[in-house]
Amino acid sequence: MSPVLMFVLPLLGAFLLPIVARASTMAGRLFGPLVLTLNCVIGVLAWGAVSEQTQVIALGGFQPPFGIAFYVDRLALLFAIAVSLGVLLLWPDAGEDEAAQRENTLTLVLAAAATGLALSGDLFNIYVFYELTAVASYGLAAARRNGAAYAATLRYVVISSFGAALMLIGIALVYMATGTLNLAQLAQLAPGTLDGPLGLAAFVFILIGAGVKAELFPVNTWVPEVYAAASKRVAGLLAGIISKLALLIIVRLLVLVFQQPEALQILLTLGILGVITGELAAWYARDLTRMLAYSSIGQLGVMFIAFSIPGPAGLYAGLAVALHHMVVKPALFLLAERQGGALERLAGSAQASPVAAGLFILLALSLIGIPPLPGFWAKFLVVTAALAQPGTAYLLSVAVILLAVVVEASYLFRVIVQLYRRVPPTEVGDAHDGATLTVCAALGLALIAAVLWLAPLGNGLQGIAAQAADRAGYIEAVLPAGVSL
Amino acid sequence: MSPPDLGAILFTGAFGLIMIGILGIVISTHLVRIVLSIVLLETGANLLLMLSGYRPGAAAPIIIDGVVPAAMVDPVPQALVLTAIVIGVAVQAFMMTLVLRLRSVYGTLDIRELRARLERDLAQEAGIGLPTSDDAPDVAGVGTARAQGGDA
Amino acid sequence: MRNYVSLLFVAGLAFLLFVISGQLDFGAAPMLIGQAINQAAPEQVGAANIVTSVVLGYRALDTLGELAILFTAATAGGLMLGRARAGATHDPEAGFILRTAADLLFPLLLVVGLFIIVHGHLTPGGGFQGGVILAAAFFVPLLARPGTHFDHASFAVVEGLAGATFIVIGLFGLVYGGEFLAPLLGQGEMGSLLSAGTLPLLYIAVGLKVGSELAGLMAHIAAYEAVDS
Repeated sequence: MSPVLMFVLPLLGAFLLPIVARASTMAGRLFGPLVLTLNCVIGVLAWGAVSEQTQVIALGGFQPPFGIAFYVDRLALLFAIAVSLGVLLLWPDAGEDEAAQRENTLTLVLAAAATGLALSGDLFNIYVFYELTAVASYGLAAARRNGAAYAATLRYVVISSFGAALMLIGIALVYMATGTLNLAQLAQLAPGTLDGPLGLAAFVFILIGAGVKAELFPVNTWVPEVYAAASKRVAGLLAGIISKLALLIIVRLLVLVFQQPEALQILLTLGILGVITGELAAWYARDLTRMLAYSSIGQLGVMFIAFSIPGPAGLYAGLAVALHHMVVKPALFLLAERQGGALERLAGSAQASPVAAGLFILLALSLIGIPPLPGFWAKFLVVTAALAQPGTAYLLSVAVILLAVVVEASYLFRVIVQLYRRVPPTEVGDAHDGATLTVCAALGLALIAAVLWLAPLGNGLQGIAAQAADRAGYIEAVLPAGVSL
Repeated sequence: MSPPDLGAILFTGAFGLIMIGILGIVISTHLVRIVLSIVLLETGANLLLMLSGYRPGAAAPIIIDGVVPAAMVDPVPQALVLTAIVIGVAVQAFMMTLVLRLRSVYGTLDIRELRARLERDLAQEAGIGLPTSDDAPDVAGVGTARAQGGDA
Repeated sequence: MRNYVSLLFVAGLAFLLFVISGQLDFGAAPMLIGQAINQAAPEQVGAANIVTSVVLGYRALDTLGELAILFTAATAGGLMLGRARAGATHDPEAGFILRTAADLLFPLLLVVGLFIIVHGHLTPGGGFQGGVILAAAFFVPLLARPGTHFDHASFAVVEGLAGATFIVIGLFGLVYGGEFLAPLLGQGEMGSLLSAGTLPLLYIAVGLKVGSELAGLMAHIAAYEAVDS
């Protein structure tokens, strides 16, 4: 089965959902999860073939670089499966009225767009799918439809549109310099045409554009408000999954097109700034949702630092942190669904739902980086890779990451203390509902499974990272024997 | 005086629109002006992308009565800008629905006031006080952090 | 203070753009793929309008994404605005001249819109441009007589089916042509209405989708009750 279907089916489902829902509300509720399950199955079935050999799909039968090509290597397929699985787990079960049906439609479109982002091998195609992800997320962010949601979403839309226009300018500059949009051909032409100030400027513009979703400093001011104003599932989707896709685009461009060391330096600086601002703001936060939002900015800063390390080692480290965050953050947001709000309100939560409190401790420990949990190994990889690099900037980044660990431990333990505080039974809040708890438990189990199968998981990731860093391999796969129609 | 350079004029126009748009977003306080500034910014970016396809003396890439023009301009930027314009229109339409709703709910379109109301609503929902000084007068009626029984 | 920092940032950006513009040659861009497409498109796709063969052939996936963006924005906008109240107030009817003009414009706009959609592969135009004109055709009578009943349900059905048709044609391409969105149905004689295989069909689907979508969204906004007016 062609991985293209992983993009087409959710989109077809989204177009048909309003009609299906008009016919039968029950069908309308089940339609989305059904399509996403089908997607996961297709992805898993395709894994075997893609592991043997990278698939290049020439859409419409038009060969790249004239047509658009989908480049499906292990990294792309991994993210595509993760998107379908993640959206399925975080599906907003909002009810049966028209507003809920529109929300479901938007979620399906988000899944389709994110899958397209993971698979695409063409610069403008990436821009189109990025905008599609953005518009779907605008609708989902404002889905609660109270004043705060509208205001937070509007701020997000303004910043995101600004970023998107800058991204378009960057693409215009790249096209004017090289005359092509295919990533493989750009990789071939980049050393001669894009290594001067023009290329660096184009990179900065595209970085700011993609950085809005990837919560890059300084275009991440929308994050805490939107995550607080939206439903926690949507926050989990945006923070856990969509931000990683934005990061993936930046990584592909760095590996293939923008090879200059200045690009890596910019990424490193912005990553360090992101870690510092994110973790400090999280420390000062007084409600759980904003604390989690700032913490996610900090973690993405760590990922930026990791990806600014050249070579497969940096990719491996960044991938590990990204995948770990993709599992932990949505679970934390799901737990915050019932426990969200002021930290004081969390008091005694452990009495109401001991399982939830236990899961929170597990997730928090992994986020901080306590061995033997996967979070420790991920940060360890980043630190060792950074220490192997020459230069004081990387040393500074290691210091910042270690300091951030201390700060994270401080504010997360503060929450845990609140959870286990003894309060009289009348003041104990509600328990979590079963479905949410099951999903969180599943994610927690995934973490523990990662600990048990650490070695094979690490080797697998290392292989994926090495394949992704292989620039010559990419060019060879997409443009095998020169360029012909 | 020598005839002005066509490229310079067009690039100045494109970059000028972009700069006016960015300036508008950054300086404006009225929501509708910000939306219009975004429109200008996107127009400038589209114009810049269009300009990459020009060839002096080339014709439009359309075959009329079987006659293929000798030199044709680049069709790809035209297709790209077509897409970009539609994307821009879609986002602007959505922004206007947000503006309408904000006007209904909050009664104002001044972003400074909207910002304050947003902070207040979020703080109220979470049940925490606004981050103000302990000595500030209790204007919002929500109470300061200390009065809310902040943790030790 | 905020304004000064912003002005500084904008000034820096302006300087950066000025420096870059010196590096760009106007009219001498390396038309790598553009050149090759210009030469190959007439035989490979068969549309007289080479831009259409790029939009619906070489870069058809971008067009699908663009359709999806418009659909998503309309859905999100509908989610924001909610449903109109049963006895909602609306603006008074426009004057005699406007009403008559709207009645005359409706068939004219329909014809012009359909013409532009259907001839998209021969002359400049196409689904998006024609679709917007179609949307205007349905919206202008609404402006002249606010409060006339707008059948949102059937427009939504047309929208969904048209979008699904685009994807289904693409899936036929996957099954019969080897790849998703591969052009089918032969090429015909270039310059005639029935040429370029499935391209006119794709543009018709696009035009109907865009038209019904924008008409529905604009009707929704027009019906939105202003709080204080």
